[in-house]
Amino acid sequence: MLKVICSLVFLFVFPNTLKAEGKLNLYNWGDYINPAVLKKFTAETGIEINLDVYGSNEEMLAKLQGGATGYDIVFPSVHFHDILFKLGLLHETKINESPLFKNIDKDFIIAKTDPEGSWCLPYARGTVGIFYNKNIVPSLNSWEEFFAIPDKYNGKITMLDDPRETIGVGLIVNGNSVNSTDVSEVKEAAAFISKNLDNISAFSYDIISLLQSGDIAAAHWYVGGLYYVFEDPEGKLEYTVPKEGATMYQEDMCVLESAPNKENARKFMEFYLNPENPALNTAQQLNISANAPSRDLLADNLKNNPYINPPSEAYEKLQIFDDLGEDIKIYDREWTKVKAQ
Amino acid sequence: MNKTKNLLFLLTPFTLYITVFFLGPILILLTYSFLEPGLYGGVVWNFYHHNYGRILGWADGIIEEFNPVYFKIFLNSFKLALITVIITLVICYPTALWISRLKPKLKVFFLFLVTLPFFSSLVVRLFAWMILLKPSGLINEFLLNIRLIDEPLQMLFTETAVLIGLVYILVPFMFLPLYASIEKIDNSLIQASNDLGGNRLITFFKITLPLSFPGILGGSILVFIPSLGNFIVPDLLGGAKVMMIGNIIEQSFLTSRNWPFGACLAIILMIVVVTLLYFYVKILSKYEKII
Repeated sequence: MLKVICSLVFLFVFPNTLKAEGKLNLYNWGDYINPAVLKKFTAETGIEINLDVYGSNEEMLAKLQGGATGYDIVFPSVHFHDILFKLGLLHETKINESPLFKNIDKDFIIAKTDPEGSWCLPYARGTVGIFYNKNIVPSLNSWEEFFAIPDKYNGKITMLDDPRETIGVGLIVNGNSVNSTDVSEVKEAAAFISKNLDNISAFSYDIISLLQSGDIAAAHWYVGGLYYVFEDPEGKLEYTVPKEGATMYQEDMCVLESAPNKENARKFMEFYLNPENPALNTAQQLNISANAPSRDLLADNLKNNPYINPPSEAYEKLQIFDDLGEDIKIYDREWTKVKAQ
Repeated sequence: MNKTKNLLFLLTPFTLYITVFFLGPILILLTYSFLEPGLYGGVVWNFYHHNYGRILGWADGIIEEFNPVYFKIFLNSFKLALITVIITLVICYPTALWISRLKPKLKVFFLFLVTLPFFSSLVVRLFAWMILLKPSGLINEFLLNIRLIDEPLQMLFTETAVLIGLVYILVPFMFLPLYASIEKIDNSLIQASNDLGGNRLITFFKITLPLSFPGILGGSILVFIPSLGNFIVPDLLGGAKVMMIGNIIEQSFLTSRNWPFGACLAIILMIVVVTLLYFYVKILSKYEKII
């Protein structure tokens, strides 16, 4: 919420006078890049970085559509990479002509509008699974067990306040695609969430502290929460990707057509092709780097973690969101009905 | 002539400000609410009445579908806003009465206390409420310790939590107008009532309460309108399971990328609020004529 308010304020006051020698303006998700990476870039090139953040793809898009300028690089999810492309907001970087581009895992070049990777650079991906508190739930492997927690352990569960993620879980449980545009499939998925509504305590992103204190037993959340798993001295938190499947997100690094510092943006992309730098990022972000050799540079505990360096068969059960165009409204309407029950 | 010039000079900045920053956005909102939504946000410049149809009931079911869910959300928001008004009034009236009878120095001190919450960010204060209300939070721990309850109360992520949050945020907005009107009451009127044999109860109902009527109405409006449009409290304390109009407007502009529908909801909300304000002014002026 705070981010929404901040960005609305920024919408009006963001100065478009940021073009200067030696500057680069990043517009990224909150906490989605290791500050050490930015410092290293500045130390190597002398280019100063400004970082502004957003909380959702929609927020970023709304701001760009509202006429915000001054940003050089944005980090849209793949389906928003496609949307930004369709809206003509992107600049073709031809980053795939760089000799180091071979480091990029070819499986990560998935944007439909950018099949060669000549516009944006695949950045990182992660899963959206379940975090749980082992003091309440000893083990958890499936969505079925997740929804049974309130009855079985008298614990609380939360899901994300995001129509596609949460209805997506309903689609997965019913064995359908998370990109389904079949009205009856989406309705069935929403009905599944509705059926469990009494057991879902909240639709929220701000639950980590509640999970740590045991006020919530389990939460539908992003893999980035592994940070809290590793930080927890008692080791009571755990993450799992349910066996029925889960969604996966991937962000790409894109240069905007309106970017005032395109050359520096290019330099940042080149810098990020060097495996050392994405490895440094993964060490703090704990997600899956698009840079294949960078994964070999990780410390052993990260290299052997299936959620940070997954074996290729792990992808069989993971689905990634496509841009649904006009059909997004099926999800939107069902979501309102679920929440206003 | 000179007077007119002066007046013009004095009123120009205000008029310009209101025109540019208030009427302008409302006109944009009104226009957008009759346009077709763009695929990725924004608008398509075609006349489109289905936004209103979706809410008010004439959507044809082909392009857009009528759904009574929006009525339900409006009603629920009104219910929550109304309860907030009543609770804040019950809390503030005795307090304002009490403070108005203190010595001037103490009055200033207590007025300062009432405005104290404004000194920190709203979102931070709401997160503090999350910590207070959660099952392992301070309130539950206290109640468990004094053995008033056997197991933690489920307060967080309920409508009760939303009401607590709304009341907490809006108490000063009820208090200040109430206080202003109670403080203004001429003490000699109360003495006269006493002299004429009115006991405290009669004095309160015949003198104090009627004379503080404008404050009650003013405070009620100031509390009602912001609670109606609030979306942060239901999101944080209601766990996004309590839907208010503010939430659905926010959802329309962001998640569903349907600006015209969001604009349409905002316009309907505004019409309702303006209607209420009209009655408010009407009641007030009628009442002041009696006085």
